[in-house]
Amino acid sequence: MNGLRPLGREKLWVLVLLAPTLLGLLLGTFGAIFSTLGLSVFDWDLLTKPEFVGLQNYAELPESRLFGKALWNTVTFSALYVPLVMAASFCVALLLNRGVRGEKLFRVLYFLPVVSSPTAVGLLWIWIYSEDNGVLNAMLGMLGVEPVKWLGAKMVLWSVVIANTWGAIGEGMIIFLAGLQAIPREHYEVARLDGATTWQRLFYVTLPAMAPSLFFQAVLATIHAFQAFDYIYILTRTGNGNSSFPTLVFSIYREGFRFFRMGDAAAQAVVLTLIILGFTWVYFRMQRRWGTT
Amino acid sequence: MRLFASTALALALGPFAAAAQTDITFQLWGSPQEGEVWARVAEAFHAGHPDINVKVEVADWDSYWEKLRVLVSGGTPPDVFAMDAPLYPDWQSRGALLNLQPYLDADPSALDGVFPLTLEAYKTKDGYFGLPRDFQAIVLYYNKDMFDAAGVAYPTDDWSWDDLRAAAKALTLDKDGNGKTDQWGFWAEAYDQEPFWGSVIWSYGGDIVDAPAGKTLIGSDAAAAGFEFIRAMWLDDKSMPTQSQLAQFGYDGFLSGISAMGVSGHWSVPDYAAAGLNFDVAPLPKGPAGRATGVNSAGFVISARTPNPDAAWQFVKFATGEVGQTELAKLGFAVPIRESVAKSDAYLKQAVPIRHQLFVDALAYARTKPVFRGYEDWASAVGDALATIWDGDADVADALAQAVKDGDAALAKAAE
Repeated sequence: MNGLRPLGREKLWVLVLLAPTLLGLLLGTFGAIFSTLGLSVFDWDLLTKPEFVGLQNYAELPESRLFGKALWNTVTFSALYVPLVMAASFCVALLLNRGVRGEKLFRVLYFLPVVSSPTAVGLLWIWIYSEDNGVLNAMLGMLGVEPVKWLGAKMVLWSVVIANTWGAIGEGMIIFLAGLQAIPREHYEVARLDGATTWQRLFYVTLPAMAPSLFFQAVLATIHAFQAFDYIYILTRTGNGNSSFPTLVFSIYREGFRFFRMGDAAAQAVVLTLIILGFTWVYFRMQRRWGTT
Repeated sequence: MRLFASTALALALGPFAAAAQTDITFQLWGSPQEGEVWARVAEAFHAGHPDINVKVEVADWDSYWEKLRVLVSGGTPPDVFAMDAPLYPDWQSRGALLNLQPYLDADPSALDGVFPLTLEAYKTKDGYFGLPRDFQAIVLYYNKDMFDAAGVAYPTDDWSWDDLRAAAKALTLDKDGNGKTDQWGFWAEAYDQEPFWGSVIWSYGGDIVDAPAGKTLIGSDAAAAGFEFIRAMWLDDKSMPTQSQLAQFGYDGFLSGISAMGVSGHWSVPDYAAAGLNFDVAPLPKGPAGRATGVNSAGFVISARTPNPDAAWQFVKFATGEVGQTELAKLGFAVPIRESVAKSDAYLKQAVPIRHQLFVDALAYARTKPVFRGYEDWASAVGDALATIWDGDADVADALAQAVKDGDAALAKAAE
């Protein structure tokens, strides 16, 4: 492997060539993270001088009208969305991996929402969920079921979970398909010779081999869940620029850019980052324990 | 040819003229058409002040405020920018705006002939930090075709809210007989106080907010009676589309042609006309305590950090003066703040033939929309709580208690 390691002057060139990316990462990503961290201990309204307040912004978070609701919405949303999108995209990948006719077409169809404009797709979902002329209620009506307020207070959580899951199946599918196609055929042949049933093959061959992809996708899905914003906002926005299902990202945006409270917004962003960091850490621990094949 | 000549002239004079030239930027929210109108105003201004060039930049409402916050906090604010009265205290109290009082003191006739009610929102104890550029009063819009088809008499100037309610019921129809309403009698934007509920509360004898005292006042019995009236129209009569019904048609029920009546300001006229609606306007109906409506004025402010305050002031003065106001009146989305222009043909004889005079007459019984620091937070707190009434999730008393609690908390936070 020594041949792949840069030697002597090559090291310098590696650094030079990587510099644009590294600088971008350093200033853009890490710079933003550190300035957010810094900002969270100040009261700053964008227009006057920031004032140091220590941890006060964090201490006040539990009383905040917007933060509590947004955190609860985001957590319940993620708890439903992550398992659902994982299961759905895994099933789709399994089906497509069996060599269905028109596999390429299905792949494109499932991936289409991922590359479509969230605004356009969101408007489509409004049309599906709408109360009187909605597609969903029209179908239920044929079965004699009363119209459901899909975006009303009781159903909105499920409705946004379903729309988001639908939008993200394609992404998980691509990762899982790649994972599935990397499993050597011989493993299945050996299993079959030993008399393993379809289910046994799934549990003892496919799943263990897929562990790295599953963990990777779980991390991604969790990050997406906690940062969910676009579909949800389009489906639930209200006349006053608010949302009937505010998420954390939305609350951060409103607090900072609408209500002149950058410090509070930064504190919320730090909490969000810590939550995502926590989950990622747990996933990595789990992977180290069960994920090695 | 003229363009060529002036370009050649500018090129020839360029190096010499540049020394005396002042460039100022003017940013505002609005449609591209509004941007063109203000560019015309800027051109007319330039003709009288050849040494000052005004660059007009227009953006939609949301982008405008985001951009403005970034530009101002980044230390590169536009010299002149548009302000909405409810947000004015947030910017003024944080020192972002130039005090115009010295200019007004030097030019005492500058505000002569301006409707006093439109100035109120911009007055502070230290003077004016902004001037209104136009005003909006809320009136009742009605779709004549829908009234004719249903054989209902047009709204009169003597209507009470009960008359409106009865007409709205008569105009709520299931035209294709599929068991679902497809035409509603009335539509209103129900989150913000301005288009509807504020006026109802006032006409029922209630009040909205006392910001200096940190008190949200919509919990009174009089106010509750007003909210109960709205709730009944919405949930008992079902003569107003619910939020989720509305979402299928876009957010303006009158514009989308599903409501026979609506409430809005003059800003809706160009949109309604462009949609081909056959409509006119009437005053807002009377309540038990008389008639009321809200007045809100958009305005101009100058950045506290502009390097060219004098040039900026010249432009603001021009834009709020006769010429600027006449251009604005012709645009047809707002009411001029100058009595002389509001009485002129430029305003009264606009292309869309409705009772434009009514918006000016409304000043006689109008109140200013309350403006104070922290307005957006307060309005969102109160609007969210009230939405639970309209959605049928809470009764009026509980929702109002919640609105007062959250509203007061927002006021307290803004006072910190």
